[in-house]
Amino acid sequence: MHNYIFLISILLVTYYMVIVKRLPALVGGFRLQSLFLFFITVSFAFSEKESALYIVAGLIFLLKVILIPSFLTGITKKIKVNENLGLFLNPQLSIFIVLLLTYLSYLFTFKMMSFADKMQSVTFALTLCVTLTGLFMMIFRLKAITQIIGLMVMENGLFLLAVTMCKGMPFLVEISIFLDVFISVIILGIFVYRINTLFTHIDVNKLTNLRG
Amino acid sequence: MILLCILSIPLLFTLAPFFVKELRSLGRLNAIGHLAVLVAVFYFALTTTLPVKFFDFFYVDALSVFFLFVISVVTFAASLFSIDYINEDASSGFISERKAKLYYVLFNFFSFSMLLVPMVSNLGMVWVGIELTTLASAFLVGFYNNKTSIEAAWKYIIICSVGIIFALLGTTIFYYAVSQAAAKTLNWHEIVPLAKNLDANTVKIAFLFILVGYGTKAGIAPMHTWLPDAHSQAISPVSAMLSGVLLKTAIYAILRFSIITNACVGVDFTSNLFILFGIISLIISCGFILVQKRIKRFLAYSSIEHIGVIVTGLGFGGLGAYGALLHIFNHAVTKSFMFFGAARVVKKYKKDNLNVIKGVLSAMPFCGVMLVLGMFAISGMPPFSIFFSELFILISGFSQGRYFISGLFLALLAVIFGAIVYHLSRILFGKKPESLKPGSEALSTKLSFLFLLIFMCLVGIKVPVFLNKIILAALEILKGVSHGL
Repeated sequence: MHNYIFLISILLVTYYMVIVKRLPALVGGFRLQSLFLFFITVSFAFSEKESALYIVAGLIFLLKVILIPSFLTGITKKIKVNENLGLFLNPQLSIFIVLLLTYLSYLFTFKMMSFADKMQSVTFALTLCVTLTGLFMMIFRLKAITQIIGLMVMENGLFLLAVTMCKGMPFLVEISIFLDVFISVIILGIFVYRINTLFTHIDVNKLTNLRG
Repeated sequence: MILLCILSIPLLFTLAPFFVKELRSLGRLNAIGHLAVLVAVFYFALTTTLPVKFFDFFYVDALSVFFLFVISVVTFAASLFSIDYINEDASSGFISERKAKLYYVLFNFFSFSMLLVPMVSNLGMVWVGIELTTLASAFLVGFYNNKTSIEAAWKYIIICSVGIIFALLGTTIFYYAVSQAAAKTLNWHEIVPLAKNLDANTVKIAFLFILVGYGTKAGIAPMHTWLPDAHSQAISPVSAMLSGVLLKTAIYAILRFSIITNACVGVDFTSNLFILFGIISLIISCGFILVQKRIKRFLAYSSIEHIGVIVTGLGFGGLGAYGALLHIFNHAVTKSFMFFGAARVVKKYKKDNLNVIKGVLSAMPFCGVMLVLGMFAISGMPPFSIFFSELFILISGFSQGRYFISGLFLALLAVIFGAIVYHLSRILFGKKPESLKPGSEALSTKLSFLFLLIFMCLVGIKVPVFLNKIILAALEILKGVSHGL
């Protein structure tokens, strides 16, 4: 039962992230989403008696709840970027599209996939929805940092899938993926700095030197 | 143990820039290191009975060896080409000495990550390896740190990361399917025998995600949008590596998954998808090649074309798959060759516009001749190697009665042939600008051209016994992908 609560919370936080207009709120949303991911991992580790999952949960807490959000906040402060996200689509339209994506994910799961377990169907649909929403955020938000967060949201969706459906990936793989994710966030952060110094903004829609 | 040597050489050489002061000797040392890697791969392929398996982490069979060979050939050529190229950049003050050394660190890390991909046995680790190649090469794409290169690097890393997340989604679904069949493993050689027990529907959906995900990294249209930017903005020896081998590591990952998928749901599913995406890549690249104005961008679009050829060949199977594997090698060699040529031209003229550059043959005799040869090689003229691999693919298409697809394939190749010859002959011939003095190239640069040229001609005349043997053994593993030879 509590697993459903965590899942619903993740979904709600995802919706929240779509409608916020300011960067700190978005980072906060991401932190909250990761926190629920942490809870659900711990709960699965407990019910499935998989000790490896506890370590995964610890890593989620360390990286996704603490380090990555603080790193992103640090960048925003340092480059003194305008905190407005600059939405291509207003919140009303955005939430409408994301609700549509949710519906499509459900449709896809129940028509295309054949899960025996209802819980699995729900989590799969939710994962798909969170991943697609991450993609949506990457496309329809202007700032480079939002693209990083969109990427992280997509990854959260994936971790959710790995934890709830496969009881985690093989341990070595899981650790390497975490390491990779962390390095990629740092490298993306470095590039945000460089974009800011070269272009004096981080609006990705204005990066249009290369065409055709 | 040789395998560990192959991996540890580039890893050790990431440290070399901290010990070697002089830039030129650093470059030479680097080239020697990569020669050692090439020799080691060659020696390994000749002496070892495959497959080799150790630590439950590495698993190397003929398919892996084939990709290792392609990677090591191109990285060696690129390291040879880098010596003079980087040295010139540094001595002309274009980049600082420190940055030049950083180049060698990143170069080695990049080649390490590419060599890792075909060696690991775990599909999850393959994913990690491919993500590492993105991370290692992102700085090499944005190396010059100007507006266009940073923009290209940003697009590169973002688009490839999104793609690769879909690949991870596919991998996770695969893993779910496997764990449903009561096995907790992602080692592909353990999954293949189980493939029949997997749920067909789940595997199909997983493969779709895999194809879109790794396809992004492989530059399959319509997921190719990062490719022209990254390949044209990257520092030139790295452009050669990106086009020549980075794309192929992603193809390798797709192949591994398609072996399992085919064993589970039959060959038609993947085969049709491959042909569809292959033809789309050919059509899109054909349009863009016709209208390109910049030389490296033009070569980048040509890479998309060749990836289209490879994927279509894999779709045909049989002789087509043989052609596709051969084409992977031929394209790697020839495209690197072309990027080297383009790099020299851009450096000499300080321009990259195809409309402006004139008279390369008279301004740069050596490079000019090489570019003429390369032009015919890359557009698929006999006696160069690309002609033959494309011919194999076509024969297999026609002999299977796929007349429409094969006809379209042939027509698109013909148009692209015309476009390539048109674009390159404009810059090769004509009167050179008065201000340019004809000059020759450094020995190491010449050697890198000649090294690749040997392969281009040799494979065209007769596929070397060594290469033929690996490709046939690799095909044996791909059985299932192909409709049988």
